[in-house]
Amino acid sequence: MSRVESRETPPEEEPEARGPADHQGPGPGGADSPASPVAVAAPPGDRTIPPVTVPAPPVATTAPAPPPAGRSRWGRMSAARRREALAGLAFVAPMLVLFLVFRIGPTLGAVFLSLTDYRLNGDWTFIGAGNYARLLDDRLFWEAFGVTALYTVLYVPMTVVLALGTAVLLHRTLWLRGFFRGLFFLPYVTSIVLAAVIWKWIYEVEDGLLNSVLGGLGLGPVDFLGSESLVLPSIAAASAWKGFGYSMLILLAGLQSVPREVTEAAVIDGANGWQRFRWVTLPLLRPVLFFVLVIEAIGAFQVFDAMYVMTAGGPVRASYSLVYFLYDSGFKFFDFGYACAVGLVLFLVVLVFSLIQRRLVGREVD
Amino acid sequence: MKPPTTSGSSRAAVPLLLLCLAVLAAAGCGGGAAGSGGNGVTVWMYPVIMDPKANAAYWDGVEKGFERAHPGTDLRIEQQPWVNRDQKLATALGGGKGPDVVLLGPDQIPQYQANGVLRPVDRALGKARAAFRPTALAAMTQDGELYAAPIYHTVTSTLYNRRLLAKAGIKEPPATWAALKAAAPRLKRAGVATLDYSASGEASLNMSFYPLLWQAGGRVFDESGKKTAFGGPEGVEALTFLVRLYREGAVPRSALTNANLFTDQALGRQQVAMGYTNTPADAALAAQAWGKGNVIVGPALAGPRKRVGFGMPGGLGINAASRNTAGAEKFVAYMMAPAQIASLGRAGGFFSPRTDVTVPGTGAHAKEYEAALAYAFPGEPHRAARQVQALLAPEIQAALTGEKSPREALAAAAEAGDALLARQR
Repeated sequence: MSRVESRETPPEEEPEARGPADHQGPGPGGADSPASPVAVAAPPGDRTIPPVTVPAPPVATTAPAPPPAGRSRWGRMSAARRREALAGLAFVAPMLVLFLVFRIGPTLGAVFLSLTDYRLNGDWTFIGAGNYARLLDDRLFWEAFGVTALYTVLYVPMTVVLALGTAVLLHRTLWLRGFFRGLFFLPYVTSIVLAAVIWKWIYEVEDGLLNSVLGGLGLGPVDFLGSESLVLPSIAAASAWKGFGYSMLILLAGLQSVPREVTEAAVIDGANGWQRFRWVTLPLLRPVLFFVLVIEAIGAFQVFDAMYVMTAGGPVRASYSLVYFLYDSGFKFFDFGYACAVGLVLFLVVLVFSLIQRRLVGREVD
Repeated sequence: MKPPTTSGSSRAAVPLLLLCLAVLAAAGCGGGAAGSGGNGVTVWMYPVIMDPKANAAYWDGVEKGFERAHPGTDLRIEQQPWVNRDQKLATALGGGKGPDVVLLGPDQIPQYQANGVLRPVDRALGKARAAFRPTALAAMTQDGELYAAPIYHTVTSTLYNRRLLAKAGIKEPPATWAALKAAAPRLKRAGVATLDYSASGEASLNMSFYPLLWQAGGRVFDESGKKTAFGGPEGVEALTFLVRLYREGAVPRSALTNANLFTDQALGRQQVAMGYTNTPADAALAAQAWGKGNVIVGPALAGPRKRVGFGMPGGLGINAASRNTAGAEKFVAYMMAPAQIASLGRAGGFFSPRTDVTVPGTGAHAKEYEAALAYAFPGEPHRAARQVQALLAPEIQAALTGEKSPREALAAAAEAGDALLARQR
């Protein structure tokens, strides 16, 4: 969300270059902030639309004064500022403690458990990287990894296209916009188990809604959840329906932060609706879009509930995800050390996605 | 900005108070031991009586009755949902917590016992041992010790839809594999499938493939328990029988995602003529949905070697980390008494695990189920039973979808299962 918010504020100096909280850098429109034009991409070969130039927001050029040497930041603070800082810390502390106790603590615990052969009665044996070595040779783990990756490849484009389409429609619609926004967001706040049960009924081969419609057209029946090739796209579609509302809201916020002057300039230059969207709106929306892509990819890698309810991982493990494998390792096989190793591998995958997001989106905004 | 009227330190008071509460709450999460401690006994019970009001009233009565019989003992029966049962129990027991007493099925015991989180209940059983069905005690026994005291017995049998059989002109419900194969084409011509099946990865094989395996004369594990045995000729025969029915449309295609939930499946919706592991509760639901006259409960299905169905005792186990073992044993002994067995059986529609107590069946098909009890096999207790099921279920799916032949599918599952058993500690 912070990245979305950052789209609404003009880029400033590098965060690292900022001074203390009370640093008063040159504000927008400062005398020493020359406006440089930013070129927005034009369609290749399309000579009817010249590149649109947008005056860039003012950029700070003066660095903050270096702090005087010899005294720490705390030492330079006045008594009032110190009290304020302590109060701020106190406000943050409850959340920080909860975060440490319920997030960081269990994560560190999982790191430890992943290095052990842990039994349900609390006995454990340190086995070093034994669980990780076993993972590398475990055909089931790689099958689950492949299923998860394929699901991600299917789910993310479906969700983002759906979210972008509805966000654009909502952006253009003024009539009952709030109502439609709420309506499209509704699946997101629906229980995933409930949604999965309903979608299971919709996909049913004997008398499911989809097959009834197909039957009316003289087609089918199609075994959506019983076919190894159709099961993942079917679950991805159901999950996209359930999850697109969140990305839609983020993209809508991104669309609303695109400066009106830019699109107006494109209109004056003769661009039609599609050209404005493709060559003006979309490039400006890129950081938000990328954020959404990464967030959805992270979510997709953690898929479990929909598969558990709709197919129980079948048929023939065609919908057996990494988290399902983790769940089985822990709660069916009581192999908690091994399950923790799977969890940490998943954590690393998600971490890589997050770092990519941070690096690429950060670069875009800067 | 002008500072607010309250000082920084007083502003910090509220969050600091919250911080203290958070720390105290977090501290409450750690340490301690299982159960209530002192004179208290905590029991985890599940909705064994389908009607929630009747279930609550029954266990409320048990609480009061036990406390009257054992003054000074504070009994607390906590109702837990069936959903994610093992997930919650394993988490609690693994953390050295959990209840003093918990309801267990035979398939749970080997794994928990192997992990050292259960205490034997032989002492609570005492002299009453001779009064219990030997099969019920054997199902709850591991390494020569009893780990759950049976308090009820379930039974499954065949369930038929009379209207659908009549539609195909079938007067005698098929009760053997041969009769079932003969009935399948006639039912297909009448537009219905013959046999419902649950092949979902979350469906217990005790209610789906294993009865067919036993009917063919096969076993899941060999005598030593160190190897799987389902890949033998009997297993191939059982799976070939099932696959043939599936390919011919006699088993509905929805079978792949079925998870032994009667109302959610083709049998409940009157699209299939029969099931072979249906409970008295299924029969009661069928009577409501199909009409009483359309429900037929038959004997357990007979295969080429045996007539056998699935039925198992439910029992009370004691947490190895319990701080009130004496209280827990008193409660287990109380629930094993004839009066409690009879009242629970009446309230939940169960059968008696004791030979000296007969629960007077109140359901329309109580007699048929009582007769089926003689063929009820509680499964093969093994510490890797559930893991092996998780390995076998996808291979059965592979055979049903035609990806593998029955022989190949069972061989693949057996190879994975044997490797798992070899890894067992």
